[in-house]
Amino acid sequence: MTPLGTLNHRGGWALVKSTWTSWLQYRSFFFLLAFGWMLPPLIYLFVWSAAAGAGQVGGLNRGQFVGYYLILILVNQITYAQTNWTVGDVIRSGGLNSWLLRPMPPLYNVLSSELAGKVVYLAFVVPVAAALAVLLRPEVHPAPGGVPLAILATVLAWALRFFWGLWIALLAFWATRADALLAVQDALVFLLAGVVAPVPLLPAALRAVAAYLPFRYMVGFPVEIVTGQLHPAEIATGFALQVAWLAAALILARRVWRAGLRRYSAIGG
Amino acid sequence: MAASAQGDLAYRANFAISLLHSLLNLGAGVAGVLALPWSQVSAINGWDRRGLLALLGVYLVVSALRGLGLGPSLDALAGMDGEVWSGRLDFTLLRPVNTQFLASFRQWRLFTLTDLALGLGVIGAALAQPGEALTAGRLLAFVVALAAGMAILYAALLACAALTFWSPGFMFTWLFDGIFQMARYPVGIYPGWLRLALTWIVPVGLMTTVPAQALTGDLAPGLLIASTGLAFGLVLAASVFFRVALRQYASASS
Repeated sequence: MTPLGTLNHRGGWALVKSTWTSWLQYRSFFFLLAFGWMLPPLIYLFVWSAAAGAGQVGGLNRGQFVGYYLILILVNQITYAQTNWTVGDVIRSGGLNSWLLRPMPPLYNVLSSELAGKVVYLAFVVPVAAALAVLLRPEVHPAPGGVPLAILATVLAWALRFFWGLWIALLAFWATRADALLAVQDALVFLLAGVVAPVPLLPAALRAVAAYLPFRYMVGFPVEIVTGQLHPAEIATGFALQVAWLAAALILARRVWRAGLRRYSAIGG
Repeated sequence: MAASAQGDLAYRANFAISLLHSLLNLGAGVAGVLALPWSQVSAINGWDRRGLLALLGVYLVVSALRGLGLGPSLDALAGMDGEVWSGRLDFTLLRPVNTQFLASFRQWRLFTLTDLALGLGVIGAALAQPGEALTAGRLLAFVVALAAGMAILYAALLACAALTFWSPGFMFTWLFDGIFQMARYPVGIYPGWLRLALTWIVPVGLMTTVPAQALTGDLAPGLLIASTGLAFGLVLAASVFFRVALRQYASASS
C-alpha cells in the first residue's frame, strides 16, 4: 500500500486521456479557426519578404515586411468579428427568442461572446506571432505617437468591422443564406485591407478603390500607422473616413435590426 | 449526382453570390501576383510573373477539382455534427458499393465548375504572356503531374478522414486546408525549413508547384517520375489506413 492507496494506473491514465481529449475537442476547434485566419497574412509575409530580398520594395525592406505582417496578423485577429457568423444561425433557429426575453438588449449577448472568443483566439495567436517574431526578426520603426494612434485605430477598426458585419448578418431575417455575403466581405478584406499586399503597394486602380471603401479601415489602416508608412495628413484623412464608415455601419445595423425585428415578430406571432 | 445538382439549383441567388466570391478570390490571387515589384526584378526565387500566374491557375484548378466532390464528401465525416460522431455513416456503410469510394464521392457541388473554368482561364492567360511556347510534351507532363498531384491530395484528405474515426470532433481537414493555402505560391518562395516541410512532410508542393513547373518547362523529369511514384504509394497507404480506421467505427447505437 502506498500512501495514496492502490494506484490505479489504468484508471488514472484513462481519466487523463479523456480530460485531455475533451479539452482538445473544444479548445482545438477555436485554435484551428485562428490558425486558418492567420495563414493568409503569413503566406504574404513570406511572399513579400522573398520579393524584397536584400533590397527594398515600396520603401520597405525584408524586416519591415515581416514587422508589417506580424502586426497585421494580430490586428486581423483582434478586429475579426467572429460572432457575426453565429447571429444568422440564432435568427434562423429561433434562438433569438430567448435573447429577446432577457431584460437587456440582445446586443450584449453578441458582445459578450465576441469578447470571450477574442481571449481564446488571442491565446493562440499571440504566442505563435511571438515565436515567428523570434524566428524571422521583424523591424518596426513607429513614428512618434504612432503606437497610441494605432491602438485607437485598432479599436475603431474592430467596431467598424463588427457593426458592418452585423448589418450583413442581420439580413438573415430575410434571406436564409446571408452567410454567403459574410464570405464575400472576408474576400474583400483579403483583397483591399492590406492582406494581399500593403494598400500603398496595390496596383493603382485597386489602391484608389481601397482608400475609400471601408475595408482598409478594418485591418490595414492601424498597421500602416504603426509601421510609419503614413504622413500625418494621411492619418487624419484615414481617421475621418474610418469614423464616417463606422457611423454609417451603426446606422445601417440599427435600421436593419428594427426592420428585421418587425418582420420576425410578424412571422412568430 | 443529379440529386446534388437539384439541391444546389434551389438557391439561385446563392449562385450569384458564390460567383462573386469566386471572382473576388480570383482578383485577390491575381493582385497578389501583379502587385509584386516586377519593375525592379524579373524573377523572385527563380519564379517570373508568368510562372506565378500559371501556378495560381493550377492552384485554382486543384482547389476546384477538390471542391467538386472529394472535399464535401470527406468533410461530411468530421466535426461535432459529422457522420462519424452522429452515426449517420451507417447509411453509407450499408450500401452495396465500396465504402471508401462512396465516402469519397457521395456529394457533388457543381458550382465549383465555375471555379474550374476560372482556374483554366488563369492558366490560359499565363501561357498567353510572352515566353516559351507550350509543346505537346509539356502538356502531357502537366496532365501527368496534375493527376499525380490530385492523387496525393486525395491521399492526404483520405488520411484526414481516417483520423476522424479516432477523434470525431477534430477538424483535421481544416488543419490541412490552412496548410494547403500555402500552395498558392511555389514552395521555392518560402524559407528553407518551410520549403522542406511543404515538400516532404505535407507535400502540398507536389500538388501545385510541380504541375506548374511542368507547364512552364522548368520541371526535371526525375521529379515527375518521383511525384507519380509517390502518388501511387500514398494513395495505397491512405486506403489501407482508411480501412483500419473504419474498424474503429462503433455505429450509431454505441
